[in-house]
Amino acid sequence: MTTTTESLPLIELRNVVKNYQSEAGVFPALKNVNLNIERGEFLGIIGKSGAGKSTLLNMFTGVDALTSGEVIVNTNEESISLHSLNENDLALWRGRTMGVIYQSFQLLPMLTLAQNVMMPMDMSDLYHPRKSRERALELLDMVELIDHAHKLPSLISGGQQQRVAIARALANDPPVIVADEPTGSLDSITADHIFKLFERLVQSGRTIVMVTHDKGLMPRFSRHVEIADGELFSEADRK
Amino acid sequence: MRPRWRKVLSDLIDNKARTLLVVLSIAVGVFAIGVIAGAYVIISEDMSVSYASNNPANIELRMDDFDEDFLNTIRKFDGIKEAEARRVFNIRARPLGKTQWTSIDVITIEDFEENEVNLLTPLSGKEIPLKNEILLEQDVLEKMDAAPGDTLEVQLRDDSIKTIYVAGIVQDSSTGAVDFLAPPLAYISTDTLRLFDQGELFNRVFATVETGQDDDAHINIVLSALKEKIEKNDYEVGRTFRSLTHQHPLETTINAVLGILMALGVLIVFLSSSLIANTLSALLTQHLRHIGVMKLIGGRDKIIFKMYLVLLVSFGVLALLIAVPAGGQGAYGLAQFIATMMGFSLLGYRIVPSAFIIQIMVGLLVPLVAGFMPVINGSRVTVQKAISGDLAGESSEQGEGGANRESRFEAIQFQATRILADRGIRIKRPLLISLRNTFRRRGRLILTLFTLTMGGATFISVFNVRVTLHEYVESVGNYFLADVTLDFDTPYRVSEIEQFAMQDPRVTYVEGWAFSGADILYPDGTTADNVSLLAPPAGSSLVDPLMVSGRWVQAGDKKKLTISEGIYDLYPNLQAGDYLPLKVNGKEESWEVVGIFKFINMEGILGYAPYDYISRDQNMANLSFSYRIVTEEHDRAYQEMMAEDLDAYFRDNGFHVQEATPGLSTLDSAAESLDILISFLLIMALLTAVVGSMGLAGTMSMNVLERTREIGIMRAIGATDIRIITMVLVEGLLIGIISFILGIFLAVPFTYGFSWIVSTAIFETPIDVVFTPMGYGIWAGLVILLSTLASVLPARSAARLTIREVLAYE
Ligand SMILES: Nc1ncnc2c1ncn2[C@@H]1O[C@H](COP(=O)(O)OP(=O)(O)O)[C@@H](O)[C@H]1O
Ligand SMILES: [Mg+2]
Repeated sequence: MTTTTESLPLIELRNVVKNYQSEAGVFPALKNVNLNIERGEFLGIIGKSGAGKSTLLNMFTGVDALTSGEVIVNTNEESISLHSLNENDLALWRGRTMGVIYQSFQLLPMLTLAQNVMMPMDMSDLYHPRKSRERALELLDMVELIDHAHKLPSLISGGQQQRVAIARALANDPPVIVADEPTGSLDSITADHIFKLFERLVQSGRTIVMVTHDKGLMPRFSRHVEIADGELFSEADRK
Repeated sequence: MRPRWRKVLSDLIDNKARTLLVVLSIAVGVFAIGVIAGAYVIISEDMSVSYASNNPANIELRMDDFDEDFLNTIRKFDGIKEAEARRVFNIRARPLGKTQWTSIDVITIEDFEENEVNLLTPLSGKEIPLKNEILLEQDVLEKMDAAPGDTLEVQLRDDSIKTIYVAGIVQDSSTGAVDFLAPPLAYISTDTLRLFDQGELFNRVFATVETGQDDDAHINIVLSALKEKIEKNDYEVGRTFRSLTHQHPLETTINAVLGILMALGVLIVFLSSSLIANTLSALLTQHLRHIGVMKLIGGRDKIIFKMYLVLLVSFGVLALLIAVPAGGQGAYGLAQFIATMMGFSLLGYRIVPSAFIIQIMVGLLVPLVAGFMPVINGSRVTVQKAISGDLAGESSEQGEGGANRESRFEAIQFQATRILADRGIRIKRPLLISLRNTFRRRGRLILTLFTLTMGGATFISVFNVRVTLHEYVESVGNYFLADVTLDFDTPYRVSEIEQFAMQDPRVTYVEGWAFSGADILYPDGTTADNVSLLAPPAGSSLVDPLMVSGRWVQAGDKKKLTISEGIYDLYPNLQAGDYLPLKVNGKEESWEVVGIFKFINMEGILGYAPYDYISRDQNMANLSFSYRIVTEEHDRAYQEMMAEDLDAYFRDNGFHVQEATPGLSTLDSAAESLDILISFLLIMALLTAVVGSMGLAGTMSMNVLERTREIGIMRAIGATDIRIITMVLVEGLLIGIISFILGIFLAVPFTYGFSWIVSTAIFETPIDVVFTPMGYGIWAGLVILLSTLASVLPARSAARLTIREVLAYE
């Protein structure tokens, strides 16, 4: 079992189509997208605003449902076709398998940084509460925020909040980290700091998928795909 | 603490004002429900027990004088448990130095210590009167001022005047209760009889039955047999009365109060449920993003539900901590208030388990049901929507169609504004914003309107019901149109009295009436009830009846009568033209019922027959004991003056006057219990109005809380404090005005409903509903005041927000 999934790509998107229904009619946000994400790579998804980057991410984080096609995630234990899971199983699966980071941090404002980082461990029941506390502090230490561990999110800067979000994404030690424009609302120096953090994580063997509209970052990914009007291009090499 | 519980705790304690708002909105309703349910139970339990504790007689016989030996015969009679004989006679009394006489029935009790039935409850002074002392029933104090230690002047039948010493005040919940039209009571011992020139014989029997003390049919069987036996011994029995041991005589009025309480309780459950639902859904809408984030990082529905379950239960428990003890106190206070007004005592403070259970049900269940709607909605929203924040607006409440309807509303509004502008009417911008805001959250608006409208409709209807009841009592007054009723001890020629009376230039018209008591019989010949037969001259203008069916009595009617609606209790299918078995003057006869009219049933069954027939039947043609006199003016004060003057005038001319009563006083007892009810209804109206405006206040502060960001933006582009406050105030006022308009309509069915509850309980018949502008007027003012008050605090807190606070993230 272990050997069978090991040889497969971590995430496979097959003929994924996503249409949005709106007053104006049907809007095709993704048009027949095929993409494999391999273990250990630092994949950049690059495109202009409105190209469909977030939509694409949402397809394999299970945050939004696809219209047709299939998304298969092969983790160590099993192969899972995402649309076969219901919202509830999806939430548990996502908590254990994916660390998701958003441009707007999405921390819970009433919890301290440490508690925010502990939350995924609490939700997924993977760690004993005492252990999860230790782990949260370790992760905060890693993102250099150990001194602020007991502050509320509103008391720290945006860059710091994003580092807490990264620590939180790592909490359950998921096989893949997914980030939607994580540096979008940060100044360039802070953004660079975050990016370096990602690079360190990739070096330590993690898989990261990151969405950005910044073409300048292109060379720093181990691989990138470009998206425009819901279609991928310059993808010939691997496919 | 695990982070999930830490979050719940923070939700609970971080924003104290918000938590307080939620807790209070639950507590208000739960408190009101506790008060109502508790008072309901306490009153219905204690009323009958406290009444029964005085061991009221099941049977009362008014009869010829009899002695101790005969009493013993009655005591031994089959089915009789206890029997006491008393002597009752009528006197007139007044405090020394006063001019106004009060008619009083004096009851002689042989042995106050061995007294077994119709027990007295001492209120003040001595419990047992000595020779030449008198105890007054508390009702006497309504007619004159007297206290233990005072001396009264007493006028006897022969007009001689004696003085007597007031020993104490007592309450007699049983004796006076059977006969509303009887004068108030006083008590003396046998020693004092001589002072009043009365013999030492009895003329009344008060007895209890052995079994079936709450079974009217059984009491009636015992009574009929006893009466037969007494009559066989050649004693004449006048009127008889039956009452049940556990049935308080004012039960009908109390039942009306309880019926209203019940209606109010149901209403309050609805109102507070909608208030709770409103507050919680507003609160939880703000939590949608949190739910999204938790689902993003692996939170399953089960965990999230559990967290919110704990949060909601905590709100409920906090509310219960406030509302249950306060509600218990309130319940007892309300019960005490009603008991005092109705003249019975409570068995003591206690926790009412059923009220407690209802409170817990409402306090916990309603928040759970109301709160879980938004939580379930929230967990159904995809994470993506929750996170992207595109549900900050209407989408969460309205679903997909929300945006559409919103734009349609805007289109209508735009159109309306343009049309108005074309005619030169400009709606100011802030007003436009308020208008838009009002309709932004339709679900919440509907709930708020529901609460406030229910409150308003109740308020308005209470005033309508009040007028309806008064109007009805007034129409019953049409049976007593005379200004003064003059009763004599002996019959006089009608022409003689007429001649004397007309010598007073203020008297315009005199009628002599006949009176007869009769028994209504069941088809098998047993007595069903008494009927008082009044016999005005045919065509009398002093009765203006409210006919239900048939016609009024006419000249020439023989063995024909009209009878009040109370007859339906005995003969439910009786119609005009049917024959009714009656026992008149000891003879069993069959009378034709020519008509049925409305009357206050608690005053007993009343019948009318023509004077000519009744007086001849009694061998008293052209004679009468009782006269109806019309005077020049008809107000209460004038009537009282005339009653006093005529009384003195006839006495001075050697007539044996028993009593002269002003016409409008006839309905005093009916009007009195109505006043109790109405003050009650008013309390109820205010309560619903308060709950309604609490709902509005909650909505307004939720609206403001939710719009902090928007208010910040308005500030950033230069909106002044005044502008922001006005915006919020106008919104609240707008809701108030809309609810007023809706309330006008809702008040119609409410008025009919409340009138029905009250009138069927008190008058045992539905009555014609009357509407009055008064309730509408007062509510219009009140709703404007309340909605302004409800919006002032939220408006001020909106204006106090600084731009930085508002625009800072979260
Ligand atoms: N919920 C939605 N309903 C309708 N259209 C949407 C929705 N979300 C995104 N879109 C549209 O789909 C396209 C892709 O959006 P998105 O994936 O957010 O772009 P990106 O993240 O690349 O900026 C955009 O044109 C956007 O307007
Ligand atoms: Mg995007």
